[in-house]
Amino acid sequence: MAYIAPKDYAADPEVVAKILRTVSGQLELDWMKRVGEPAAYRPSQAARGLTLDDINQGGYAPDKLPEVIRHNFSMAPRGALLPPGLPSLGYRVNRKSDVWADVAPRLFEEAKSRRWAPARDVPWNALVPLPHDERHELALRQLATGLISIGLVATDVAASWEWRMNQEFHEIKYLLCAQMFDAARISEAFRKRALFGGGSLGVDSRPLGELLKSIFLSDTYPEASAAMNLTLFSVVQALGRHWAATASNPADTYLGTQLAQDATRFVSYGVDHVRSHLRARPQQAETLGEHLDLVENALVGVLGAPETIEPLVLVSGGFAPVAGFYARTLDQYFRRCAAAGLGDRRDASALTPFLRMLEGDAS
Amino acid sequence: MAVRFPSLEFFQALKQRTVDDKARFEKLGYCDTAFGVRIGAELYGVAFEVYECTRVWRAADAGELDFVLEAPPELWREMVAAILRNKGADAAHTLNTLTHVGDRMKLVAQDAEGEDKYYRFMASLQEFFDQAHNLQLEIA
Repeated sequence: MAYIAPKDYAADPEVVAKILRTVSGQLELDWMKRVGEPAAYRPSQAARGLTLDDINQGGYAPDKLPEVIRHNFSMAPRGALLPPGLPSLGYRVNRKSDVWADVAPRLFEEAKSRRWAPARDVPWNALVPLPHDERHELALRQLATGLISIGLVATDVAASWEWRMNQEFHEIKYLLCAQMFDAARISEAFRKRALFGGGSLGVDSRPLGELLKSIFLSDTYPEASAAMNLTLFSVVQALGRHWAATASNPADTYLGTQLAQDATRFVSYGVDHVRSHLRARPQQAETLGEHLDLVENALVGVLGAPETIEPLVLVSGGFAPVAGFYARTLDQYFRRCAAAGLGDRRDASALTPFLRMLEGDAS
Repeated sequence: MAVRFPSLEFFQALKQRTVDDKARFEKLGYCDTAFGVRIGAELYGVAFEVYECTRVWRAADAGELDFVLEAPPELWREMVAAILRNKGADAAHTLNTLTHVGDRMKLVAQDAEGEDKYYRFMASLQEFFDQAHNLQLEIA
């Protein structure tokens, strides 16, 4: 049922009287108050323009935020004067350390600055005539099919938490909007890649669905962020680099490079966010670790699934390069986990015996 | 006059290209990193801010850099020759391919975040090296 405001504004005598006073030229000007501490709020670098970090000064700076927001559950922007009676929008994520990362404002600006448009920026004509054999092309379309699903669910994950976050964390909400756009573009770009020039989508993957569901249904935002930004996007970033490194044409080089760049912003936020979260609440390390155990188990399913590993074998020219690619990817992932304060996850992770199995087969 | 590769003058000339071909770098977006290029025993520092390369120098301390790209001089020469031949790196000689396939070029970083700056700004860094095709080069 739609929300109904408690007052009938159109019929309220007090409201009507005030409007009539304003119309007659009697201004109250009660709203005309300066709030916050004065600061420059100017671009610190002319070429970069006016950034969020430039205006996050004085009383408007996020370092003034309390760890738990108790004073504002309304739509009021951080730093505005709050009149009594503001409606609560029911925000459920109200703890700064559950969302914050110092790098977030910069990543938001970077996401906009490093934007690209698949429609025109990808040199699609480089795929005409097809610069590799049919099996290679089918393998790329299969990998693209997985990336489409990943992009769509990443959009959903960011969207499902953005509206639950307190308005005081607007930088993080902005970043999640940028993540939604970045993820939508991944989905768009790889759908276009799969279908270009009479192409087709591949088969959907049940293990990938299980992985994405385990991320989408995370109980808390820190768990969702660790699972999506740190775990999933470490793999997406690596796939982008692999796509570019094995490309036979400029279109695939471009797509892979852009995928890797965009995915790395998710990863960078994930590392900084989890680290900030664990600095403030170190006792959460066990909870996050347990959640990542489940997510990494699902990731084993994806990396070992024929619809993932077989196309990779075809585009990489054999099994050994794929084993090497997985080993490098997961080594980087484990180092990021350590940088985020999650300790050395190698011993406990389901990914480690999976890697050993591959190394045995590759040697 | 030809610029010798490798040399500090080579990196100074590339730095100037980020000003001369400003629109190309602006299209790629913000790029904020200070990284190293190790060619054999020589370490060059390259700093980017906003869209431009703002500083190149002979670096002594890799610790002040987000990451370092390390390769023997022969591989760097091969990469630059490919850039001159193709007016930009071919797929086999992009920084990504060289650091990804078989680790012919090493990506060395103090921490995971320094390493990730390489991936965040990869297209700008590739464009920086691709600009070598506009230079008159003497590959030593």
